Amino acid sequence: MAENQRTGAPLALRRRHHSASCRELAVRAPRLQLRALSTLTSAVWLAAYGLFVLCENSMVLSAAIFITLIGLIVYLHFVKVDQESLLIIGSLGIQVTSSYASGKESTTFIEMSQVKDVVINEAIHMQKIIYYLCILIRDPQDPQGVSEVVPLFQSSKPRLDCLIEVYKSCQEILQQRETAPQSSEIK
Amino acid sequence: MAAPAAAPARRRRRHTVCMVSDFFYPNMGGVESHVYQLSQCLVSRGHKVVVVTHAYGARRGVRYVTRGLKVYYLPLRVMYNESTATTLFHSLPLLRYIFVRERVAVVHAHSSFSAMAHDALFHAKTMGLRTVFTDHSLFGFADVSSVLTNKLLAVSLCDTNHIICVSYTSKENTVLRAALDPRIVSVIPNAVDPTDFTPDPSRRDESTVTVVVVSRLVYRKGIDLLGGIIPELCQKYPDLHFLVGGEGPKRIVLEEVRERYQLHDRVRLLGALEHQDVRNVLVQGHIFLNTSLTEAFCMAIVEAASCGLQVVSTRVGGIPEVLPEDLIILCEPSVKSLCDGLEKAIAQLRSGTLPSPETIHNKVKTFYTWRNVAERTEKVYEKVADEVVLSMSERINRLISHCGPVTGFIFAFFAVLNFLFLLFLRWMTPDSSIDVAIDATGPKGAWTKQCFPGKKEKVKEVLNS
Repeated sequence: MAENQRTGAPLALRRRHHSASCRELAVRAPRLQLRALSTLTSAVWLAAYGLFVLCENSMVLSAAIFITLIGLIVYLHFVKVDQESLLIIGSLGIQVTSSYASGKESTTFIEMSQVKDVVINEAIHMQKIIYYLCILIRDPQDPQGVSEVVPLFQSSKPRLDCLIEVYKSCQEILQQRETAPQSSEIK
Repeated sequence: MAAPAAAPARRRRRHTVCMVSDFFYPNMGGVESHVYQLSQCLVSRGHKVVVVTHAYGARRGVRYVTRGLKVYYLPLRVMYNESTATTLFHSLPLLRYIFVRERVAVVHAHSSFSAMAHDALFHAKTMGLRTVFTDHSLFGFADVSSVLTNKLLAVSLCDTNHIICVSYTSKENTVLRAALDPRIVSVIPNAVDPTDFTPDPSRRDESTVTVVVVSRLVYRKGIDLLGGIIPELCQKYPDLHFLVGGEGPKRIVLEEVRERYQLHDRVRLLGALEHQDVRNVLVQGHIFLNTSLTEAFCMAIVEAASCGLQVVSTRVGGIPEVLPEDLIILCEPSVKSLCDGLEKAIAQLRSGTLPSPETIHNKVKTFYTWRNVAERTEKVYEKVADEVVLSMSERINRLISHCGPVTGFIFAFFAVLNFLFLLFLRWMTPDSSIDVAIDATGPKGAWTKQCFPGKKEKVKEVLNS
């Protein structure tokens, strides 16, 4: 099992080689900064206090506390993604997992027979033009066609050098599948 | 990999050019094909070219066309006639991102009708890039709309490095309109693909004389003159036929004439033609008639001459520069003069003194080639690359001194705002955090000459190396 770390700015890519045809690639986003959290909270509370001084209604203060609490829970549970990982098993398929800061995990699995290819593509996203990695899903009716495109690492959006690393790892395993499609199934 | 094969001892510099225009395929027209053909020729000469246009329906994002030419279809709102709205600012984030990630050195904007082209020039100057502008049309000076567009053009072009016009008449027009120094204006004509326009004499009906007209049926193209010519000549020559291709508001004029003089069998109106059908119409005729009242550079007469037709045309705009005198009969824009010209052409045809279609084609095919256009454009880039870009303070001085006190100050203010916006964007996403795009074309192009099968492997190779 080989493990190595590649840090580019705040994102970290971790690669794990479980065996020749099984690899795990994880992109870890920086943890939630205590400083950012406390700044935001105090900003909301100060604004609420200002409003309280103006209208002299204590409801404002309790509302502010609830808003911060609920906001934090929603943010940690649905928005903040700590780690996105890609587990490729040559004989089985590709599993995409994203773990949220609260500990919630959402997992999708794509069977190897459905995977046509893994490619890097370009897209216009907000006011940027970014590279992203995506899985092309084979169209069941037409073996040459693509029925769906599944983008990977959607929330961390790693840069091109990191994407190329992941791309190469994926291609190595996909090529093994092409050269020996039967051997892995016998095991 | 491609570099040693493509550079046999030529010490030319390779430029990274970004073509910006609102008009590009899938929209059809002269500017579109100009941008496409020019880019293709520059790519095959080893430069890196990207095209930026606005989204056409579902066609948005990044696409590749032949030879790895990369096209950005940006999701900007279309306002009028396929031209985007301009606020001078909203397109800066995306255009800056493209200019940085593609490492663009020269921004080449096309067509004065395109708001996006002017925006791109404005932003490129703010970012300190070199700018080239190609003007494709002639304008008037008298009416309100031309006064306004001329003012905007003057603002947009006063600090542009170089301007390209399609004919000497168009150069004169642009220099006057935008109050430019004629030394920074070059003339590079359009080109036709001669392999698309080949003669085919077997398609002609030798028992008659056929006059072909292919143009949009609008006032500018002189369709009212055509309506006067048709009855006059049809009375004189019983074997004369007219073939009119094109559509427009003046079609009614021709229909009236046909109705009144009972010429249904001799005047055929074909309606709108697709570009690939134009040649099939042209080869059916003996004489090509152009009645335009204004024209920067008439592509139609070159296409007709390339198909081996004798050309009769009005002497307006840039037309006298287009073809040599033995291939064209020039007339004044009046019914009388055009009839005389046509009669002369018919007499020459009857007496057999006209050169054969093959000889005309072989002559014309050497005149206007895209290769030649690309070489001359390359020289412009070469010249521009050595020039210094105006600094911000010089640019503001230029705007104030050149465009009048009011407009100058307003646009100088906009230029400063744009610069501040750029500083803000640089602070938000520093240039270092923008990924450099993988070149599809140019010296380190990842795109091989063969089309699809080779392409993917090559891109993989680049990624692996």
